[in-house]
Parts: sequence; structure tokens; C-alpha cells
Amino acid sequence: MRRRDTMGIILTSEDRIPPITDIRANSALPIAGRYRIIDFVLSNMANAGITNIGVATETNYSSLMDHIKSGKPWDLDRKNWGLNVLPPNLEKMTYGTIKGNIDMLAGISDFIHRSGQTYVILSLGNSIYNIDFAEAVEHHVQNQADITVLYHDMKGAEETELSRFTLLELGEDNRVLDMEVQPYYPKSTAASMDVYILEKALLESIVDECSARGDRDFVKDALIKKMGGMRIFALEHKGYTDKIDSLKSYYKNSMGFLDADMRKDLFNPERPIYTKTKDQSPTKYGAEAEVENSFISDGCTIEGTVINCILSRGVKIAKGAVVKNSIIMQDSVIEEGVDLDHVVFDKEVYITKGRKLIGQDSYPLAISKGTKI
Amino acid sequence: MVSKDCVAMILAGGQGSRLGALTKNVAKPAVPFGGKYRIIDFPLSNCVHSGIDTVGVLTQYQPLELNTYIGNGNPWDLDRSHGGAYVLPPYQSAKTGEWYKGTANAIYQNISFLEGFNPNHVLILSGDHIYKMHYGEMLKAHKETGAAATIAVMPVPWEEASRFGIMNVDEDGTIVEFEEKPKEPKSNLASMGIYIFSYDALKRYLTDDEHDPNSDNDFGKNIIPKMLKNGEKMVSYRFEGYWKDVGTIQSLWEANMDLIADPPLFDISDRRWSIYSRNMALAPHYVGKGAKIINSTVTEGCTICGEVNHSVIFGGVTIGEGSSVKDSVIMPGATIGKNVKIEKTVIGSNAVVEDGAQVGTVEKEDNKYASAMCTHGIVLLEGGSVVSANAEIPKGSMVTAE
Repeated sequence: MRRRDTMGIILTSEDRIPPITDIRANSALPIAGRYRIIDFVLSNMANAGITNIGVATETNYSSLMDHIKSGKPWDLDRKNWGLNVLPPNLEKMTYGTIKGNIDMLAGISDFIHRSGQTYVILSLGNSIYNIDFAEAVEHHVQNQADITVLYHDMKGAEETELSRFTLLELGEDNRVLDMEVQPYYPKSTAASMDVYILEKALLESIVDECSARGDRDFVKDALIKKMGGMRIFALEHKGYTDKIDSLKSYYKNSMGFLDADMRKDLFNPERPIYTKTKDQSPTKYGAEAEVENSFISDGCTIEGTVINCILSRGVKIAKGAVVKNSIIMQDSVIEEGVDLDHVVFDKEVYITKGRKLIGQDSYPLAISKGTKI
Repeated sequence: MVSKDCVAMILAGGQGSRLGALTKNVAKPAVPFGGKYRIIDFPLSNCVHSGIDTVGVLTQYQPLELNTYIGNGNPWDLDRSHGGAYVLPPYQSAKTGEWYKGTANAIYQNISFLEGFNPNHVLILSGDHIYKMHYGEMLKAHKETGAAATIAVMPVPWEEASRFGIMNVDEDGTIVEFEEKPKEPKSNLASMGIYIFSYDALKRYLTDDEHDPNSDNDFGKNIIPKMLKNGEKMVSYRFEGYWKDVGTIQSLWEANMDLIADPPLFDISDRRWSIYSRNMALAPHYVGKGAKIINSTVTEGCTICGEVNHSVIFGGVTIGEGSSVKDSVIMPGATIGKNVKIEKTVIGSNAVVEDGAQVGTVEKEDNKYASAMCTHGIVLLEGGSVVSANAEIPKGSMVTAE
């Protein structure tokens, strides 16, 4: 089904992951070789037939704008609506700075107001998942909910893992009874995906009301305080999802793409994930290449050994180099005899002959863009 | 109206009958090449890099896939407000309506398309050659000499010269004689089928040619000789570099192998001259535990769990555990099962080779799949064909789809 009655709003995340978010918004982080994190939510929306999407940005949005441009890869360069990158409008914010997602929403209130759709999918831009949003909106409508919160059941996860999320206390029929934002002692395993479905009119009134009172958080100030008076329901997403909020989760989720089940779930051929194309030639394997259990993008030249790695486009690995358990972003060059284990390289990192860099599984070594060692 | 200095016309109507089952359902320019491209990506990308933004693609034989592939021209940056890519099939008009009779007639039938851009020059290209060339340089030379036509030529080995259209030129490069497949060539400069005409001359000669009932309406056979005979200034433009007509199964296979030679005989990885193609929106390729890939290219959407040696693997191909692929070209979406052995084979799109099959590994005297088009022991599996489990397909076979 094509949800032409629904618009999408993506709030780019403020979770910083130094050094790889030094130069870009979290949502613009390269992931799974050829993608950016935001490609997942954008493609999900586009696949549901949503043709009006606003991406609210904070600072550091040039990388995001460069990635999205006209929205062509998502088929969102439209005459009516389309894909809009919305830089922060500080004047519209209560205190002139962004301190919470209500500020971001207030900053784009004109965009929301002039959009002609009935429903809104509001999502943070730092999670990866592949979900049928058309079906989710249909569920929201049929269920006569005021707000539908998408969640993932993390049964069996450690408390520290659960504490990264907003947890939902669920009653009968998945009605949300309470929400706790990143509690130290989690009482539930239902982790919010930070994806909300609601009517546009309701969103506008929430933003207006919160803004007028100086409230700044969509969950803490709006949803939790209004829990009694609104029908807030949760909808479970059974497929894979996680948010990228730390280097550890970035590393873990990236490595997850080496798992066949996760690839199958996130790269569902019925709902493709689109991204900006770079028109690079296929990857070349040399005479001495040894590659195992790795996820490799186009445009690479591999002459050395690559085991358990994620390579972005245009990476060069010279003869005799050994790269293990690592994430190497676009156009990085690894010279002969280099030994790498558990590293995360941003774009255009250059490692000269014979160097050795070793990180740990629990603490991968991250190197910022353009570094030459 | 804004005039265009140069408009390109790509002749993409050819069947490419010597490619056998590969061109049963698609025109030759739409045949996959080089891991993620189609043959027509090469002239299209050359146009864009040469600053030519208006390209007519003349289709006739099996145009559906080619039309869909070109679409609005966006992958080549040819979706323009004025100009861009246009697919031009033959059409009916008030007076006439007929198939393209020959290369010259195809352009003649689209004179009104050209008129719309009021061009000074027209670049005529063929949609079935693999090469990288800066047409802008050729256009510059064409303007400097003030020729009525400039023809790209390249030196070929003398022993092969009699297979080509040969240009005999003087010391300035001016063409003095043109011989189609001469028995005793006087020169080894072969025409590459790339012409730049001054538009006025082109229009005049095409119109005259159309009214000549004895003409085959072909550039090589009719237009070029006629212009030479009439003393028009015709100049050669010398090209040195890789150029290949992938007209046969063997030459298509060989041109793919040229990409993975060390160093490559033809380099497509130069990002200043990227070859553009329509993207299939597939994830990066996954190389499994126990896989081994050497001297090969692999692209997006593949899952490789077996051995790949000296082969070109297109998008979305799966190769199962225990299988080995050598000296082969596997086109998009093909599925190779487990413990399969494949040698020197061209596998068409979405073909399936089931577990334990052997393809191209042995010679066999009485081979029911034998085909005269599969020379040099090459095997061709048609797109969508299925080789059943444990089957044996000998060298020189052509397997067609049900």
C-alpha cells in the first residue's frame, strides 16, 4: 500500500561518537560499507510510498546535505513534496538553541504546518531497521490510537544494554502505561525504537504546547505527562534493530552485517535500502588476495588478507597487509605489510608500510578522517 | 531555442546475432559487460565526459529492455531540461512508416529530431563497442580542419586489416580512399564506426541517399564513399587505446578477461572517467568463510562461498560452498549451487547451475549442446537457463532456456 496520507519527519541524532562524528551528523555515519545510517529510515519511508519527508538537522549538516541532495536515490525528487533537509531555525526555538527534540520540531513548524498529509511518522535518524511503515500506519489507524510507539523486545539483554533505551511499560493490548528514558534500573524489556506514528494535527499541538511552556523533550515532557489522557499504544517490530549511539554499538552493529540472518533481515529485496551511488567499478581481487567472512563494497582493490571486515567503497589493501575484525571507510589506503586488528578507520585514512595498529573487541581503535600514519 | 553545438546519435538497433542466446531477448547494446555495466554504458559515459549532453539512442531490435534501462537518462546525468537522453525507435508518419533500413536511414528518419536542436555537428556512434574516448577532442580536431566529416580510425594488426573498413590517408590524415574489408589492404587504419559530420553536409547526403533506390542506406557502404567521390573534405582522427567490438561470444568473453589481466588491458577503475550504469540498489558483496577469490572482480549483491579464479562476477550472483569458477563471466542474478565446477563459461542473467554440475570442464565428441557460435571451447548458458544437479555440460556448448 502507498501511504500518500503520511509524511515522514526524521530528527538527526545528537549522539556523538568521537572521532567519527567530528565531521558529520551521527545520521550521516557510513555503515555497512556503502550506506549512511539515515539510508535505512529514509528507504523505509520511501518504500511505504511516503513522498513528503523532512530531515531536521542540527549543526554539522553539510555532510548530510551532500549525501541527500535532491533525494533522487530514494525517488524523492518530486514536483509535489519530496525530500527536504531542514537546517535549524534558531529563531523559532524558545531559547534560541537546540536543547531537545521539541526545539528541533518547533524549528521546522512551518514545514510541518504546510504539509498536507494526515499522519506523521516521526523517527530519530540513528537507528537501523527494515520495517513496513505502510503496515505500521495502517495498524495505527485501525487501532484508533492517538500515538503508536514502535518497540523491540530485548528479552534476555543485559541491564546495561537496556539502559540505553527508552523502556515501555505495557498493559493489555500493548497499551503504553509508562515510559522511562534510559533508566539505570530497567523495569521492562520493551525498548522504544524512537519511532512514533500520530496525526499531524496532534504533533503540531504537542509541539506548540511544549514550546509555549518551555518544555523540550518529546517523550519526557509530552508523552509521559499526557499518558493518562491519550491512547498511546506500542507496536512490536520483530526484525533486527539497534541504535548507533556509541563507538561500541557502531562497531557491534557494523560487524553484525557479517551475519547472514541480519543481512537477510535488513536487506529485504522487497524493501531495498537505497543510497547515493558512486559509480565505482567492481572490486578487484589480486593474485594473492585472501578474503574471508567480509562485507565488501565496490571500487576496492584487495591484494592482501582481509578477515572479518567491513570495507567501504574504494579501499585499497596492498600485498602482505593483514586486516582483521575491522571497519575501513571509503578511500582508505593500507600499504604493504601493515597489520591491523579491531580498528575503525574513517574515510581516507592512510597507513604506510609495515605499521601495526591493534585495538580490542571491547575498545576498537578509531582513527579520524584523513589521518596518515 | 538554444542550439546544441553537437548532438550524439547512438546506433543501438543491432541484433548481434553472433552472440547467440545472449541476444535472444535483448539488443546487443543491452548485453551485460564488465561486472556491472551494459555495453551501451561505454558510449553513453564517453558522451557525458566529453561534454555532450544530448544523445539520441536509436533502437529497433528487442528494444524493451534497452528502453527501460536508459529510462530518463539519469544514471548518466542525461536527465536534462534541454537535451538529455532520448530513445528513438522507428515510427509511423503521415507519408511513410518503416523500419530502419540501414544505419544512414536510421539517422535520416530522425532528421526532425536533430532539427529540434539545430546542431552544428552530429556525432554518430555505435552502441556495441567497448572503449573510452574523448569525443570532445575529436570534435575540436573536426572544427580545426573544417572537414565535412571526421572519422575515428585506429591501427589494427596488418594480418587482421582485411576484416575491417580500411581508411587510406595522406600525411595530413586526410582520407583519400575507403575500402570495406579489402583483400590486400594498403593501410592498417581501421574505421571505428565513429563519425562526426557537419550537420549541413550530413543532412544533404542523407537526403540524397534516401532518394537513391540502389542504396543500402548504410554509412560505410554508401554515405562515406559518396562523400569521398564528391571530393568532400574527409579527415581521419587517430585513436590509440583499447577498443573492442564484442560481436561474438569469444570476443565478449575475451573483453571481460581483458579487465582482469594483470595489469588490466582495459582499465575501468579510473574515477576521472567513470563508466556510469543504472544501479541495482544491492548491498555490498559478502565473502564467506572458506571462500577464495583471486584475479577477479566481484560487485554488489553477491554472496561468494566457493572459489573464484580469474573471473568476472556481476551483481547479485550466489556461488555456493565447495564450488569453483575459473576463467568465466557470470551475469547478474545467476545462482551457482554447491560443489559445482565451472570453467571458461559465459553464464547469462538469472541462470541456475544446480549442485554438483560440471560446466565446461571436459571435451566430448558427440555433444548435444554443441554450437558453432561457441568457439574456443567457451560454454554459453542462456539467461534463465537451468543446469540440473550433477549434469555435465562439455566445452563448446550453448545451453538455452526452456
